[in-house]
Order: sequence, then C-alpha cells, then structure tokens
Amino acid sequence: MPTIALEQIDPFRYRIARDEQRGMRTDVIVYASRELIDQIQGDLSLEQAMNVATLPGIVGPSLAMPDIHQGYGFPIGGVAATDLERGVVSPGGVGFDINCGVRLIRTSLEAEQVRPKLRDLVNQVFRDVPCGTGREGPLRFSKPQLEAVLAEGAPAMIANGYGEPRDAEFTEERGKLAGADPYQASDRAKDRGRTQIGTLGSGNHFLEIQYVEKVHDEAAARAMGIEEGQVAVLVHCGSRGLGHQVCTDYLAQMGAAMKKYNIQVPDRQLACVPIPSPEAKAYLAAMRAAANFAWANRQAILHFVRGSFRQIFGKNVRLDVIYDVCHNIAKQERHAVDGKWREVLVHRKGATRAFPPGHRDLPAEYKSIGQPVLVPGSMGTASWILVGAAGAIEETFGSACHGAGRRMSRTAARKGRDAETLQKDLEAKGILVRSETREGILEEAPEAYKDVDQVVEAVEGAGLARKVARLRPMAVIKG
Amino acid sequence: MFEILEHPADIGFRVRAATLPELFAEAAQALVAIAFEPGDVAMRETYALEARGEDNESLLVNWLSEVLWLLDGPKLAMREFRVISLAPGRVIGGALGEPRDPARHRAKLIVKGVTYHQLKVFQDRDGWCAEVFLDV
Repeated sequence: MPTIALEQIDPFRYRIARDEQRGMRTDVIVYASRELIDQIQGDLSLEQAMNVATLPGIVGPSLAMPDIHQGYGFPIGGVAATDLERGVVSPGGVGFDINCGVRLIRTSLEAEQVRPKLRDLVNQVFRDVPCGTGREGPLRFSKPQLEAVLAEGAPAMIANGYGEPRDAEFTEERGKLAGADPYQASDRAKDRGRTQIGTLGSGNHFLEIQYVEKVHDEAAARAMGIEEGQVAVLVHCGSRGLGHQVCTDYLAQMGAAMKKYNIQVPDRQLACVPIPSPEAKAYLAAMRAAANFAWANRQAILHFVRGSFRQIFGKNVRLDVIYDVCHNIAKQERHAVDGKWREVLVHRKGATRAFPPGHRDLPAEYKSIGQPVLVPGSMGTASWILVGAAGAIEETFGSACHGAGRRMSRTAARKGRDAETLQKDLEAKGILVRSETREGILEEAPEAYKDVDQVVEAVEGAGLARKVARLRPMAVIKG
Repeated sequence: MFEILEHPADIGFRVRAATLPELFAEAAQALVAIAFEPGDVAMRETYALEARGEDNESLLVNWLSEVLWLLDGPKLAMREFRVISLAPGRVIGGALGEPRDPARHRAKLIVKGVTYHQLKVFQDRDGWCAEVFLDV
C-alpha cells in the first residue's frame, strides 16, 4: 500500500497535513516513535485517521496514539473530539464493545506467596469467572433489575452486595455514566446481556494474575498502594453481547439518518449523526447504559475473583481496585480549546483517558499524581501502570494509549504455531495459561502485538503520561 | 465455501455464488463457520430471518446481524441457510438448526458485530461476490 506522507514534528510527534481534496477538515497528529511509525505504515490505520479528520464538527486534530492499528472506520488507537452543537457522534468511534476497558486490582499477597498455589488459583478463577463463547454468568437478572444496572452501573452491583463502595471511587466516572437511559437499549440487547454479567468473553479479553516487577515512580506507586513483588489482577473485558447489540441496532439506523442530515463520510463505518439530533441523543443514552453494564460486569468479576483468592489464600486476603478505565467510549468533557473552555464529545476508540495531576475528576488519593492509565501488553509479556500528564490534557483531550496494539492478523498469528507448544513455552517462562479455546491462545500470541515497552516509551516521550510501574504476568485466563 | 480475508485486528471473509439470494445464504454460512466449529448440528427446526436495508451492502450487514442475533440471543446452532425472497430493500429467509448444546457445538470466536469496513457486494462475470469484515 502507498506510504502516507508524514511530517516529523519531533521524536514522538508526526503530522499528516489537512488535505481538503480528501475532505479533511483538520490535520492528523500521530504520537509514535520512529520504530513504531514503520509498523504503523504497514496497515490502513493512518488512512483511517485521515478519514476521521473528515467528520463534521471535529475540534482540533484527528489523533492517533502510539498503539494505533487498523480497525473499522476509526482506527484502533484513535481519538477525535467533536463540537456539541455543530459536530457529530459516530458509533463506530466507540465500537461494538462499548466500554471495553481494564480494571487493575492490587492484592495483599506477594509473588512468592502465590507461586506455590498458582495452579490451584488459576483453576479456581477459571471455575468462578465464566469465559469463552456462549458461557453464561451465575447471576440472573429480571428485566427491571437489568435496567437498574444499565442506569446505575457498578454502584448498582455494590448496593446488592457485589463489592465495596471504595471499588466505585477508583473507577472512571465512579462506574456510572450519567445520562444513561435503559429504555434506549433494545430488548434484544437486554436479552443478550441478562445472563452475561460476571463473564469475561473471549478473543483478546482476559484476566491476568501479575506481579509488580519494577516501580519507576515511588511516590505514585505509594499513592496506589503498590510495591515491587506485589501480586495484582488485571481484568480486560467490556459490555459483552449487550454492548454489541446496542452498536448494531444504532448503526442500522444511521444510514437513513445521515441522508436526512445530508452527511457524507468516506467510510460507511464512520456513519454519524449531529449530536443535537434525536438519533444521536438516543444513541448516546443507550451507549451510556451499555457503558454502565460493562462497569457492572467488571465489578461482578472482581467480586468473583475476591472469592477465588479467599478460597485459596484464606478470608483475610485483600483485593482493592487500583483503577478501572474504559477505552471504547464517547464522553462529554470540558477541555480548553484555543484558550477557551468548551464542552466537547471525545471519542476514544482503543484509547484511554489520561487526566493529569490536579484534575477535579480524580479520587483524592490520586490528585497529586494524576489518573492511572492501565496499559496491558500482549499475553506473556508485560503491562504498565502510567499516570496522566499535562501533555495529554493540552494536546489529546486527556487521552493516551490503551495497549500494545496488534501488528499481525489472527490468521497469520495461527500459522506455523500450535497452541500446546505456545502454552508450554509460556509455562517454561513461569506463566500459566488457561484458555477455553485453542484459538484463544494462538491468536493472542505475543508476536501478534507491538512491543508494549516501545508504546509506553512513546507515550512518555510525548508527555502524555508517565511510567509508574511495570508488571509481569504469572498466569493468564481467557476464553 | 468461503475464503478468509486478513485484517490486523479482526477477521473477514469472501463468498461467491451464482445468484444474489445464494450469496446471502453463503455469507450466513461463512459467519457461523467462523464463530463455530462445523459439527453435529441437526436440522430440527427452521428459524425465520428477515432484514431490511437501503442497498445490497446494508441489506447484507443487517441480514448477517440477524444471524448473529440468533447465535447469541436465542443461542442457536445453525447448519444451513435459505433465502426465500430477496427484493430491493428486504430479504426473507430461514436458518435450519437446533438449540445450541455446548457439548456438541464448539464455539471458536465471539463475533461482536458485522462491520461496513471495506464491505463489498458486487457482480462480475463469475457471478456474485461479497467481502465482509467482522469485529471479533
């Protein structure tokens, strides 16, 4: 494919200048190192970022994070803000997996305490947290109960005994997006979601038992209650079938709606409607409900994992949320644009909010350090905890990367590899893998992803976030 | 029969058929083959399928989304698809299969949605062809 002309601004910033002939209304700014740029040029992600730049009412540039890779419509790792009056909302800018996100939980255990019982722990978690396709959770909700969860998010689960009040305090938006309307989610969405709370899903969703390998920022680590050798649990999952159905339902309406508003886009997956329109209001209300469902899901999973740890290590073991972030979402936020405060709709598609120290939306314990930014790597490599920095709020609407970013298709990842060998290789490195499917292991092989350390170096080099700690996996549980 | 199309994050397929209704049936077949192992699915019941769309592309996306709904909502295992009627803007058909049994019907992938990414529905001298990418 033809290489797109990139102008290097500095070691971690590149620009694709606005091209009016393509209908671009603004530039694309790519945050990446030289090494990552070479990989990024290998797929259609930059073209997709250029297409995002055509969205009506886009505010500032179309932004590409260092883990950017080809998605559908928006690239994965794409961020775009739109004006509330003149701009659009694009469900493709959120994705099918609304509020796919990550929750990081610290435990009161050290790696050397867990290692002798790791296999028992993994088997217990595998029993307690359903994963894989078609697996239902143990909880059963009536329609009114589910609608309460869609309205209230993680706090609804906590109020019913599935967690502690502190869990919500350390979740983005406190685990509940205001403005959710359960009645804007279809009955089909609710039917799919009713038995899925507390389930992990499959594909690139996983639960990882980790240990803190290295602390890079002692003060920030202390504020988060973590130290080297400590065991943590990382949960990566989203809104399951409910979110998928919400996106499907609203995308189906977009075509006719766009004709009504005389909107054209270069890629149908960028289908969008004006934010003040009734179609947008309905979608946003349903999206917020699905986001709340995802937070409720991660809350339920935490509750089950607490049970798993207590079963193996006794009732005094503590598991506490460090933070929970979403990385597929569209949120109304207040940002300074050209020196003036404005409310904008920030689409983050495979990107994480990264608010800096002092931001009013942070828990008191994190005001001095900034918002935790959780960056899972590929299976068997490493994950990072960062904190948001001033560069993010100044340049990227408070956004940073969300992971390592894929660099290989699923088919390519399976070629020449077999799941058993990969599993044994990881075990030889001290990492247990328990997966519901063979494909689940192969397609998520470490080689299929970019180097998460390079991604994090670029994020820090660009001033979007700062390193706090690097974590290494001990076990991976997935569907 | 279908061919897998590569995508860094997701998965796609290409199907061919002599007629447009057959193409829709083949595409549904491809979707379930990507999501599930072809296995012992008895054709015990017929499940109605219907979709609307303003053009062939949106009609195909909405048709496949209906198949996806049957997979994850009622949780069905489906073996064959038939299109009874395909007119501009509307397709009616059915899926033959049975309620899903986890012991016999092994799932491979969760398909989150049917995308418009690089979607193509076209006719050439060999018949009809469709290329569809799925979010997995």
